[in-house]
Amino acid sequence: MVVIGGGPSGLAASVKLEEKGYDVTILESERELGGILMQCIHDGFGTKLFNEAFSGPEFACKFIDRVRDLDVEYFTNTFVKSVKVGSSLKEVVALNRQGVLKLSCRAIVFATGCRERTPFEIKVGGTRPAGVYTAGMVQRLVNVYGVLPGKKVLIVGGGDVGMIVARHLLLEGVEEVTIVFPEAWFAGLARNVQQCVLDFGIPFKPRTVVKEIVGKERVDGAVLVNVDEQWKPIEGTEVFHPCDTIIFSVGLIPNSSQLEEMGAEIDPRTRGPVVNEYFETSLKGVFAVGNLVTVFDYVDDAVETAFLAAEGVEKYLQGEERREKPTPLSPGKYLRLMVPHRVEWADGRDVVAFFRSSVEKENCWIVAKDGSGGEIFRTLKRYVRPTLLERLEIHRDLVDKAGRVVVDAE
Amino acid sequence: MQSEVICVRCPKGCKVKVAFEGGSVTSVEGYGCLLGREYAVQEVVNPQRIVSTTVRVLKAPYQRLPVRTSRPVPKDKVREVVKALAGVTVEAPVKRGEVIVKNVAGTSVDVIAERDLESEGG
Repeated sequence: MVVIGGGPSGLAASVKLEEKGYDVTILESERELGGILMQCIHDGFGTKLFNEAFSGPEFACKFIDRVRDLDVEYFTNTFVKSVKVGSSLKEVVALNRQGVLKLSCRAIVFATGCRERTPFEIKVGGTRPAGVYTAGMVQRLVNVYGVLPGKKVLIVGGGDVGMIVARHLLLEGVEEVTIVFPEAWFAGLARNVQQCVLDFGIPFKPRTVVKEIVGKERVDGAVLVNVDEQWKPIEGTEVFHPCDTIIFSVGLIPNSSQLEEMGAEIDPRTRGPVVNEYFETSLKGVFAVGNLVTVFDYVDDAVETAFLAAEGVEKYLQGEERREKPTPLSPGKYLRLMVPHRVEWADGRDVVAFFRSSVEKENCWIVAKDGSGGEIFRTLKRYVRPTLLERLEIHRDLVDKAGRVVVDAE
Repeated sequence: MQSEVICVRCPKGCKVKVAFEGGSVTSVEGYGCLLGREYAVQEVVNPQRIVSTTVRVLKAPYQRLPVRTSRPVPKDKVREVVKALAGVTVEAPVKRGEVIVKNVAGTSVDVIAERDLESEGG
């Protein structure tokens, strides 16, 4: 078994597989295991899984300790060069300082996480001086290397990462932090709005974006502009905001390019691979878990997909029966995205799905319908909003009866 | 006096208005459920926070060691806690949970290491 990626999801999958008696090798490109959590030093991880709020490193260490106890083989500073998928055996070629690693395995779990969207992927004009960062990069600089990026900081994006970085920079001695975002209100969790922004009186400007970055060698400031509800800039509202650092926190995108190159089907909504109910991609015996599948709000949920994939690997290796035709699972009009994409195995546990709504609604019915529009299941969610990834369980026998399943908010 | 609290008990994020006089709460408005009411009152009467930051670490593969308060401290002590840790330097190896500073900023709360750091070189 090869697990690619030693972040929380990769570690969780490895631990589960090793516990089931499989021989697992983890390949990690960083110098240590733990993934992005090692730089997320704030608390709040694990509230669903352990009913307790840990810091990122503490949460990761729970799994790292387990990897060490079980003596799971792992390589750090190791990059995967190519993956070949044969009919039953798969070959992974990886590189590290010691040389070339050729691993033959029967199943692969991809846990390569996501990457940050860059300022180049959203429309930002102006120059490209020093002092422009992404939020994750700043988090790493500050929390791991002890380097502050500047004195007067502008943060672009009102998501969780942006807010957490804003608080941290202020506490660590940055003179001034301002947050701008195009939405009417912060896109992140309410707890972060309170504990990161309001607690410290950090100034913020909703319905505002950066039109231009100004500065030759180093950032001198940014031209800010107000936007309307469609995020269209309103002419004449431009103001110059002086600062020496601009940090973009404008979204995360699954790292699925390697799977795509291998021929795995990609969902244009999630930008991650298409998976079945045990998080197996369209390539048999190749699984995908965590933020690679879709960007999760809670690491606890990401870890759950890893546990499910470990069960899937077992089903695959034991040659359990699949359906003649998989049952497609798809999001309706009011859902922005949903995983998994199909129910493929003949038997198994109830289907665990995650979806993001495209509307904000209180006391919202989530309804699953079969191919002909007949209702097969409904459940009430107290509150749905686009920024929250919701978890849903659908009884397997309900899926069995439907030719296809469409889930929607009502 | 009146304070507005964003409730964090569920994703809805109710804005709860808590009025109080001389330390006792006189009215609570805008909460969606009883859990939210309880949270909002606690937030106004005695708000508490876990503080996470980093301290300098020597002989380790990285320059900073992440640390946090072992328990929440009063919200108005957050900055003092960070300040008290600004000059602290430790040496690897460090074990997760190890106490880095006792009774930080007079809060009677300890600051602990969030991770193991093995020593590397000199």
